[in-house]
Amino acid sequence: MKKFILLVVGMMAFQGIQAQKYITRSGYIKFYSSTPVEDIEAASNQASSVLDVDSKQLVFQVLMNSFQFEKALMQEHFNENYVESEKYPKGTFTGNFTSNEDISNEGQHPIVVKGKLNIHGVDHMVSQTMTLTKKAGEYFLQGKVVVSPAMFKINIPSAVQDKIGKDIEVTIKAKYQQR
Amino acid sequence: MKKLLLYILMGTSMFAFSQDDLMDLLGDEPTIDYATATFKGTRVVNFQSSEIPAKGVMQFMIMHRFGSMNDDYLYNFFGLDNAQIRLGLDYSIANWLNVGLGRSSASKTYDGFVKAKILRQSKGAKTMPVSLLYYGSMNYNSQRWNDNIDHDDSERLSYVNQVIIARKFNESISFQLSPTLVHFNFVETSNQPNDIYSLGMSGRVKVTNRIAITAEYNLGLTDNFYYVEGVKTPYEDALSLGVDIETGGHVFQFHITNSRGLSDPQWMTRTPGSWGNGDIYLGFNISRVFTLKKPKTVDAPTF
Repeated sequence: MKKFILLVVGMMAFQGIQAQKYITRSGYIKFYSSTPVEDIEAASNQASSVLDVDSKQLVFQVLMNSFQFEKALMQEHFNENYVESEKYPKGTFTGNFTSNEDISNEGQHPIVVKGKLNIHGVDHMVSQTMTLTKKAGEYFLQGKVVVSPAMFKINIPSAVQDKIGKDIEVTIKAKYQQR
Repeated sequence: MKKLLLYILMGTSMFAFSQDDLMDLLGDEPTIDYATATFKGTRVVNFQSSEIPAKGVMQFMIMHRFGSMNDDYLYNFFGLDNAQIRLGLDYSIANWLNVGLGRSSASKTYDGFVKAKILRQSKGAKTMPVSLLYYGSMNYNSQRWNDNIDHDDSERLSYVNQVIIARKFNESISFQLSPTLVHFNFVETSNQPNDIYSLGMSGRVKVTNRIAITAEYNLGLTDNFYYVEGVKTPYEDALSLGVDIETGGHVFQFHITNSRGLSDPQWMTRTPGSWGNGDIYLGFNISRVFTLKKPKTVDAPTF
């Protein structure tokens, strides 16, 4: 009997770890800054993320130097002068989400994601409505967040202030597979 | 009791995973971290740095050296009236290959050069302690001969072959060595050397993210001299100190140097002025880059 309980408990614990986590290593993150002088866009498709549909937790991480710009010098300045990638190599998000719908059903579900975004070594709390879609056993996450360089203590010198937007739109698209 | 234990265990198994554990699940995939921006510009002052503009980028560079501080400085408006200039244009065919053309006013010299990155400093999945580059230039002195002797055109040519070994020690400090060979097809007297070896040493220290202090010294290794009214006089080693200021697509480099020439063979081997005598020239380099071919962008996934 004891052995049986242990087995059941063990199996359940194992299931808890194994069954409900979805993972991606090729998440897409884009940011877009628009001013009358210049539009700047950069994207990475190397974000990794885990979606835990049981505990409704969500984490993201991306190497800052994986963002591709349309001008190489911009990319260099982004890494060297603004986000300081050598000091702070990763951008991370840790948080959880809520939904009024049963996300284990196939289809689109609006979710509210809340958590801590860390860029340039600075934490900032974000809360945003996103869309989680379940299709053929896979999850798709899509959403947008607006951030500003000032939130993360990224100083923009006056010489380039009219080229870098105060509000930067971040687009997230990730396709998860069961782990 | 047993049931209770079961429930507790079930409960913990469900919620044992914190966000940190989830993050650990992602782990750190090994990546190669290449050292970037070892120097701000493609030149330290006169020396080529280990930097190459990215593929598809064209760079226009203006180099200026004013007259010396010991030559009627105020009368010549801080030497501005005697300015020397080099205009240069280069283009990166690949991220590791850059070619360019230039024209320097001192001795009316045209130059063509090629700069190739052979090794890239990196850490992480692949460790490479230094960046290694080859730099070569061919220089054509177009000044008119004034000795009434028939000269062959090849006598106007001189060549520079250089290896650049650079290391970015940390975010702010970089250093490089540039063993250099300059070859002149023609020298004025038979006992002057055609081949002149030197060892360049350059460094930079970042003061802020956008401002850096630079210094470079070209240590002469060959007995290199000229004649002043029949007296054998050694050439000086070029020593320059500078400040780099970066603003968007420009890099401004201000410096003081004892070498006024701007074409490679001139400043590397034909520097008569010495710091001690006040043969100091104020100068600047300004570069502007143009992205002619945009790098590949990351496309959004379609779903």
